[in-house]
Amino acid sequence: MQSQSLFTRMTGKNVLMSFTGPFDTEVLSIFGKNIENSISQNKKLNKTIFKVFIELAQNVSYYSLEKEMTKKGEKAGVGTFIIQDFNDYYYFVLGNPIDERHEAILRDKCSRINSYDRDGLRAYKRELRKLPPGERGTGNIGLVQAALVSRNPLDYTFIEINDSQSFYIVAVKINKD
Amino acid sequence: MENIYIEGSHTNFFVPTVEFNAETGVCVLSGESFLEDTIEFYDPLVQWLEEYTSEIKKPMTFEIKLTYFNTSTSRSILDLLNILKEYEDDGGEIIVNWHYDEDDIDMEEDIEDYMLDTGLEINMIPFDEDEF
Repeated sequence: MQSQSLFTRMTGKNVLMSFTGPFDTEVLSIFGKNIENSISQNKKLNKTIFKVFIELAQNVSYYSLEKEMTKKGEKAGVGTFIIQDFNDYYYFVLGNPIDERHEAILRDKCSRINSYDRDGLRAYKRELRKLPPGERGTGNIGLVQAALVSRNPLDYTFIEINDSQSFYIVAVKINKD
Repeated sequence: MENIYIEGSHTNFFVPTVEFNAETGVCVLSGESFLEDTIEFYDPLVQWLEEYTSEIKKPMTFEIKLTYFNTSTSRSILDLLNILKEYEDDGGEIIVNWHYDEDDIDMEEDIEDYMLDTGLEINMIPFDEDEF
């Protein structure tokens, strides 16, 4: 996929860990374990990265337009994630194709999340948590949690693939201090 | 009414330890919660609490000692706490203690937000992780 290779080129520096493929439960758990145990010597920092990874990766699994059937017979969304190591922070980047019609909704959600202070984010998370699972919009609770846990705004962009698809990229900084 | 005991594990997924005791009314949920199927895991706990609060109706102590849970789990915890609040509103005696790492600000905020959401009083009990 052209946008994915572009995405990989754009973010190819300082890469500690990366993956492209179906985000099934096995992939989530194996990478989760690696992040938790081996990103840095700082256990609490690893846990923060782990928390961000779990919340955002689950969104790929549920919402990526591209799906693959796994060996276990589950249908998992396909996407890419990269963890980069910079002097003061780790950068967690994640991307997946989406239906072009969802771009505006996602753009609004990300922009809304970035407009809130911490109390606003907490209130928004509570609002989303009260919705029954699977209801439209509830998946964004993971985005809110990523912003809360990382204490940084979301970086996001959309790359046009064709008339009906975009490649959605969301990234979060996790400070080392 | 049967007790529930589930031994927690920390492998690819994180299964919390569950100790729900129908004789003593003491229920403990501890460890970490990141599950392959959150609803499948928590549904029996929700049903147990519903049965206890509608049939046994004895005083309860609910102890939470979770050091991590994902947002998917956080919905199920809300369901459990809502049952406890309904029980209290119906005259049930309930104490909720939530033990958390004193350095874990995210967890502290989560507990505060659960109190706001449910109206339930939760005793926040900080601990030093190194001594836990």
